[in-house]
Amino acid sequence: MIAATAAGRMLTVLAAAFASTLAFAQAPAAAASADIVKRGEYLAIAGDCTACHSVPGGKPFGGGLAIPTPIGEIIATNITPSRSAGIGNYSLAQFDDALRRGVRADGAHLYPAMPYTSYALVTDDDVAALYAYFMNAVTPVDAAPPPTRLPFPFNVRLSMLAWNLLFLHDATFKRDPAKSDQWNRGAYLSRGLAHCSTCHSPRNLLMAEDASRDLGGGDVGTWFAPNVTSDVISGVGGWSEQELADYLRNGRTAGKGQASGPMAEAVDNSFRHMTDADLHAIATYVKSVPALRDTAETRPAYAWGAPADDLDTIRGVALPDDAEQVTGPQLYDANCATCHQARGQGSFDGGLPPLFHNTALGRADTNNLVMVILDGIVHNGEPAGVVMPAFRRDLSDQQVATLGNYLLQRFGNPDAKVAAGQVGKLRAGGGSTWIVWAVRAAMLAVVLLVVAALIGRGARRRRIRDT
Amino acid sequence: MANDTSADFVVVGSGIIGSLTARKLALAGASVIILEAGPRVTRGELVARFRNSPRRSDWMSPYPPKAWAPHPVYQPADNGYLVQAGPYPYPAEYIRQVGGTTWHWAAHAWRNVPNDFRIHSLYGVGVDWPISYDDLEPYYQEAEEIMGVSGAPDTGSPRNKPFPMEPVAEPWAMRRVRERLAGTFPVVTNTTARNSRGYDGRPACCGNNSCQPICPIDAQYHGGLAADAAEAAGAKLVANANVYKLEHDAAGRVVAALYYDPDKTAHRVTGKTFIVAANGIESPRLLLLSASDKFPHGLANSSDMVGRNLMDHPSTSLTFDADEDLWLGRGPQSPSSINTMRDGAFRAEHAPYRLDFTNISRVDGATRALIADGVYGVELERRLRHSAARELNVKNVLEVLPRPEHRITLSDQKDAMGIPKPEAHYSIDDYTRKGHERSKDDFIRIAALMGGSNLRFSKDGDFANNQHICGTLSMGNDPATSVCDGWGRTHDHENLFLASTGILPTSGTCNSTENGVALALRTVQHMLAEQAGAAKPR
Repeated sequence: MIAATAAGRMLTVLAAAFASTLAFAQAPAAAASADIVKRGEYLAIAGDCTACHSVPGGKPFGGGLAIPTPIGEIIATNITPSRSAGIGNYSLAQFDDALRRGVRADGAHLYPAMPYTSYALVTDDDVAALYAYFMNAVTPVDAAPPPTRLPFPFNVRLSMLAWNLLFLHDATFKRDPAKSDQWNRGAYLSRGLAHCSTCHSPRNLLMAEDASRDLGGGDVGTWFAPNVTSDVISGVGGWSEQELADYLRNGRTAGKGQASGPMAEAVDNSFRHMTDADLHAIATYVKSVPALRDTAETRPAYAWGAPADDLDTIRGVALPDDAEQVTGPQLYDANCATCHQARGQGSFDGGLPPLFHNTALGRADTNNLVMVILDGIVHNGEPAGVVMPAFRRDLSDQQVATLGNYLLQRFGNPDAKVAAGQVGKLRAGGGSTWIVWAVRAAMLAVVLLVVAALIGRGARRRRIRDT
Repeated sequence: MANDTSADFVVVGSGIIGSLTARKLALAGASVIILEAGPRVTRGELVARFRNSPRRSDWMSPYPPKAWAPHPVYQPADNGYLVQAGPYPYPAEYIRQVGGTTWHWAAHAWRNVPNDFRIHSLYGVGVDWPISYDDLEPYYQEAEEIMGVSGAPDTGSPRNKPFPMEPVAEPWAMRRVRERLAGTFPVVTNTTARNSRGYDGRPACCGNNSCQPICPIDAQYHGGLAADAAEAAGAKLVANANVYKLEHDAAGRVVAALYYDPDKTAHRVTGKTFIVAANGIESPRLLLLSASDKFPHGLANSSDMVGRNLMDHPSTSLTFDADEDLWLGRGPQSPSSINTMRDGAFRAEHAPYRLDFTNISRVDGATRALIADGVYGVELERRLRHSAARELNVKNVLEVLPRPEHRITLSDQKDAMGIPKPEAHYSIDDYTRKGHERSKDDFIRIAALMGGSNLRFSKDGDFANNQHICGTLSMGNDPATSVCDGWGRTHDHENLFLASTGILPTSGTCNSTENGVALALRTVQHMLAEQAGAAKPR
């Protein structure tokens, strides 16, 4: 009887424990309030999770997008709550590990294409809200994208352990009590979820952000994410807070510039949907980031050029038979003047931007200029569509170079240059894999050194023995 | 003969119809070669030539023909390529280059109205089509989704699915016309392949008002885009390949297309199926040029119908000064029209028509007219401003009935390649003239509603041409009276198909392009189904 009672009590305890485990497992689903889910959705937008984890036109967060990196393509995973193909089985702690520490539920390490070094700053509350959103409000997609296959040695995910030791600072955001609430909010968003530095900071040889040059400008595939420090020449020091907020909201600011490529995407997916308060907070913070100056730059990218034309050199002159010999003014007349107008002044209402006083033609790095000519500007938000057509199909490498150099001379920074070879490389996707070979070479060098050392030691021993 | 190549499908002509035919075949996995007589062009060079032309209203000026692929041009002088046999001139314009004539068009992409397919049965005029509106409806939709078409909700052509996009914003002048004609004439947005938003990688129309001769930003669909799409789908496009003969075997199957390159070196391309998509003039010309001992009157011509029943849409018009400033020239060139006279019992008596308002800037034409009148100085500025602001023009688009004596034949004259030129035999019959007379009443009422003054009718007896070439390859069920069947297959050659506005057996009241594209897409569906051995589509 006693035994039975004890056994019964034991069962009860076990059952209770089991039940509570179940309850815990289901807790997020059951307990997440609508408010928390809503906040999680906003945070997911601020984090622009969709940029990588959704294929354009595909199911939200279903993964599958191939993200080009210098070491090969990394395939974004399915982060829907699908139990078979997504993160449906993740506990809050596992979700947290992935988000802030770059570790999957199975213990494997993520590649830092996932900006967990930035997300590490996200607060516990916000992690919980994100978890609640993904688990409750995202539609499960039961199809897993193909796995990432990087070349050796990067296919060894354990190598990220060492990388994380060097570059992952596992601490959430700490308020700076000396600064305003707005600044703190901006710093939290910019350095955390909005992960500005992922693109705008240069990376070192190990592909980690160079903290000493925070937001000093970096390469993003074939695009260049410019310096957005507070420097008045090289950065955004000359932009007002309102101008920055407008840019994030609309993808453009009159008299300054317009977002294109990955930044247009960030505006469409993320910034456009954020509150005015948050955009102003980000602007406030960005304008406080320590200034970094590129000494080659002598005035702000938006401060070059004036209206001008060369119509007197082309009217009444037939196009040359050899398309590669078409002049800059002729290419401008044929391809650009329709919208940007004869003297580069854009439309009277500013709807079509002027080319002078436009960051597009003011930078020393001309990759973005080439990319915009090749691929145009496309927005997926509102107003949707192609705001500048792509000329990839129409213009040869030489023509893009001729046109680019003409635009820089006429309306922009005359010291900047476009080369036909550069256009060809960017047209092909840029894809230099030098890093793979550099790392392999470095590893080989280490092996050779070790072998040489061993041989040397063996030889010395022999010499010692022989003597 | 040099450079023999081969494909499952050989398409002659890279215009919007040939290219979309090739694209659909290539997307289905077929091997396809497109042979185009003219050169490749880029939009940029066309825009540059347009901007550099002193003849801004000559829409052919950016498209000078190549010697090895001539096409008709009339300014500054007629180049004599399309020989006129009369009695009424048929000065057709078309473009022989990759992408074809839709590089410049107003992008009108209308469907017929259902009764257009049965005018013989219903009204005792013309002929019935071998297919019905319902047969073609899904292919209209397919064409519209490719081209990005928008339009008014009800212009008499029922649809099963919505347009793929909303219409382009209504220009001010068209809004005022619509408002002032309301209650008497419903003025609606035209059905056009012009983007009102980003579509398929192309931007929205921003109102350059140069749809003809060239949309500078590809906001309107054109054959150059179709040719690109065909190549992207895997079709092989050979430019500067002027096909001058189709060869057949003893059984009457076509076995090869022979073409000249610009040096007049002959090449031979073999294939299993041949599709002639070289427009309503060059296609019959090629069939006639391909005469042999076995087919002495040309290919597909046992009925003697190849080249006959030439039709287009003649137009007469009224220009007047409205009593308010309208400032034509903002937005697309041809945005709005009246569609209430496209069908009705009157078709037994006279031609039906659409009424089209032009929105082309008046500045170029008014300037030239005033200078020609010797007006100068302050008076020139005052009157130019008045004309540019107030002038309005409305034209009819009249149906033409098929008549065998209206035809394209081979001329005795030869082009620079030594190939006989096409020759046009044409006139305007009473059916069309009566339609013109009837529409004058509408013109007068429209002018009155707009407070019009200074009414200027187009010269009596003058009919402007609209370059909607059709009828010359007519489809029909009876091999004795038509060139091809309802699938575009020639009655005489099992593996020779026609994809062209030439196969339209009647002209209706709408621009022929979308009809031609939809019929071609249906033809491809049929070919693929036949090959798969599956049931034929409707």
